[in-house]
Amino acid sequence: MIAQQIINAVSLGGVYALLALGLAIVFSIVGLINFAHGELMTLTGYVLLAALIAGVPFPAAVLLAVICAAVAAVAMERIAFRPMRGASVTSLLLTSFAVSGLLKVIFQNGVSARPQAVAIPSWMTGAFSIGDFTIGVGPTISIVVSILALIALEFFLRRTVTGTAMRAAAEDFDVVRLMGIPANRIIATAFLLSGLLAGLAAMLWVASRASVDPLMGFTPVLKAFIAAVVGGLGSLPGAVAGGFLLGVIEVLLQATLPAAIAPYRDAIVLSGVIAVLLIRPQGLIPAVRVQRS
Amino acid sequence: MAVMTMERSSARSILPAAFRNAGVDALAMIAALVLAALAIYLFGNAAMQRVVTYAAIMLTAVLGLQIFSGNTGIVSFGHAAFVGLGAYATGILTMPAALQRTALRDLPQFLAGHEMSFFAALTVVLVLAMLIGLITGMPLFRLSGSSASIATLALLIIVYTLLVAGREITRGSQPFYGVPREVGLWTAVAVAALAIVAARLFRETSFGLAARAAADDERGAAAVGVDHRVARLAAWVLGAVAAAAAGAMMAQFLGAFSPKDFYFDFGFTMLAMLIVGGMTSSLGAFAGVVVTVLVVEVVRRFEGGGVILGLQMPVLFGLTQGVLAVAMILVIWRRPTGLFGDHELNLLRRPGMTKGNPVKLAADAAPARAEGGPISVEKLSRRYAGVVAVDDVTLTFQPDSITGIIGPNGAGKTTLLNMIAGDVTPSSGTVSVGVPARPASAFRFARAGIARTFQNIRVFPRMTVLENVVVAAREVEPGLAAAEAAARHELARMGLEAFADRPAASLAYGQRRRLEVARALALKPRFLLLDEPAAGMNAVETAELVSILAAVRSERHIGVILIEHDMRLVMNLCERIVVVDRGRVIADGTPAEVQNNPAVVAAYLGSRTARARQGNDVQ
Repeated sequence: MIAQQIINAVSLGGVYALLALGLAIVFSIVGLINFAHGELMTLTGYVLLAALIAGVPFPAAVLLAVICAAVAAVAMERIAFRPMRGASVTSLLLTSFAVSGLLKVIFQNGVSARPQAVAIPSWMTGAFSIGDFTIGVGPTISIVVSILALIALEFFLRRTVTGTAMRAAAEDFDVVRLMGIPANRIIATAFLLSGLLAGLAAMLWVASRASVDPLMGFTPVLKAFIAAVVGGLGSLPGAVAGGFLLGVIEVLLQATLPAAIAPYRDAIVLSGVIAVLLIRPQGLIPAVRVQRS
Repeated sequence: MAVMTMERSSARSILPAAFRNAGVDALAMIAALVLAALAIYLFGNAAMQRVVTYAAIMLTAVLGLQIFSGNTGIVSFGHAAFVGLGAYATGILTMPAALQRTALRDLPQFLAGHEMSFFAALTVVLVLAMLIGLITGMPLFRLSGSSASIATLALLIIVYTLLVAGREITRGSQPFYGVPREVGLWTAVAVAALAIVAARLFRETSFGLAARAAADDERGAAAVGVDHRVARLAAWVLGAVAAAAAGAMMAQFLGAFSPKDFYFDFGFTMLAMLIVGGMTSSLGAFAGVVVTVLVVEVVRRFEGGGVILGLQMPVLFGLTQGVLAVAMILVIWRRPTGLFGDHELNLLRRPGMTKGNPVKLAADAAPARAEGGPISVEKLSRRYAGVVAVDDVTLTFQPDSITGIIGPNGAGKTTLLNMIAGDVTPSSGTVSVGVPARPASAFRFARAGIARTFQNIRVFPRMTVLENVVVAAREVEPGLAAAEAAARHELARMGLEAFADRPAASLAYGQRRRLEVARALALKPRFLLLDEPAAGMNAVETAELVSILAAVRSERHIGVILIEHDMRLVMNLCERIVVVDRGRVIADGTPAEVQNNPAVVAAYLGSRTARARQGNDVQ
């Protein structure tokens, strides 16, 4: 039972971490808090649904959906955010807020306002036993995917030229541009990565719920925002730490709170978050940013 | 006749020009609102009256949002939560006791059976909002920028969760019903009128000025003594009170509601209204609400589908939200400052309305501030990850003297100045500014009489030239009127009085540098720190600056410490020169002494040249 709870906690934390990481990558480069990140998740869910209905085999459908999320993220940058390049953080935030609202309306009218069932293969919803423990397949996949994605991202950021340029851009974009690295490529890559991460997170989220609806991305991304702020806005290790922390706390509270207090869980978690920020206003692992006199 | 004129002019100086202007603006907006309401009351039907009532309630809420977001520049999602809290509190307080017993069986005893009138409930709600605003605001504004925005989002989720979970009090996610519907057109208009006055006047108060300055440039604001946390808290609390008032009216306007009515979509609507009109002014909030309510009223007719112009329209979900989103995107793209720009009506500042009271510039009467000791710096060091920018520096600066700090690029001059200004925390060592002040706090140092300018100019671009200086003057003058007079005086001193009502962003480079100096002098400092004041100025502008600085120093007896690369300026103006290289003081003395110091020559020209010169001297 305890093992099961821990697995659940880590798997939920992994999803939050992937989402928070996507937000942090974009924020660190362009200073945008992307409210439409949740809609990328929703879109991924619908692509998966459509592909499955069209008879595409499950693994291919998942791949297709995740690729679509990445492409959609890049397209979103091209269409909505590029004209805003250089605008204030507030304008960017509000643009993404409006884009998010618009996409929701499009999903509601273009597909359906009601949740649509997604046929998840039965082996994913099963469980397996190790010794006395019964462990769900879904959460296990979720943990494995999250960890693999984090390792792959770390490898990309450390070992490739573009990755190194992105880490540099997070600290001081102007200098990176002076080094002759095209800004568009860095920004497009940032959105591509955040889209990939949102796509993966969406798959894990859909797998555990077996349905998609127009507001699907709303709640997890809201949590991911909080995770990103707790970790230190714009800090990648902070986003991962914040995501896992939030997931673990949520599941543990869910498991331990008495029934009378359980509905207050989100309020308790978020109050805790604000308490953390009182002690560390820059987050757990603050982002490094240059300052000029 | 003469007596009357005197009385009028004295009444003028008691009420600052900024408040007079704001008051007239507010009256104009209220007149427009009342006229619209009157027209609908006389000629409109009940449905139209409801639309105007709704608009007035939304106006109150959006003005609440504007008071906070418009002045501090922090987008808030949390104001929807205050509307929700106001609505539920009013609902519980005004509900008929008999109905309450059936609808809310488990209501705690102290909340039950109040059956208050609307205005009694409103009073309670406003006090409550003030308390909750204070409690939530204090932790919130340790954060800044985007983190603070996300924290307001967290607040919205917390309040929503509480409203849904607190079933005994709120009926959870089920509709809360049975609230008497007593708020009509005129109540809503009256409360909205108060909100207009509050929002329009707030931006001219010292809190409003301080919040706007910090939004434009946080470091610049700290340098003139602005504590941005206090300013933000004040804006947050007043904004929360206005939003809760809107909530109280909303409860009695709707009669029945549920927590999701005050959640994300509502917050979105509020923000869209504000953005469309223009976030930074109360005029923007006013116009935004009018425009969006009209658009939404038109769009709403299409939402249900049906046949329009011979076309079969489908049923569209959330069309109004979609239209608001598109409107918001278009406005941000095409007119980032909103449809009505970023300025107020400013009826009294229209061309022809300003009388341009000539400022007398006789003897510079501005006295130096209360006595205090010298600035002394002891064993001061600052390290940045491996680099030692300032290394064990001990110096004393007397008031009533001009000191130049020179040295090669990267010598640590600006870091030293920043530590003296309280802007950078020393890694070790102490800075004493002659009067007690908490260490390493830029705004407290500024209030203690240490004024400064920056290497990259930090004026407040969206505020007027006059406001830029008033922000600083407000920290030392007893009232806004006195601050305005002092600010006009400093502007005249710097030859900027003709630009007083223009936004600072419109000034030329040299003028902005002078504005920064005027702003620093408005603090009535004991010390003035100038970081490359002549950088980027041509010879004529530099000469002007030198004569102004010399005059200021001789009239006010303040200590000036300046960093400068223009050697002629430094040698002419300064009585003492401190040479810094690689974080250490390598020479300290009169210009003549320093010029002949071999270490200084070495630092500037390289050691081989220095040795060569020394060799020549010996020969």
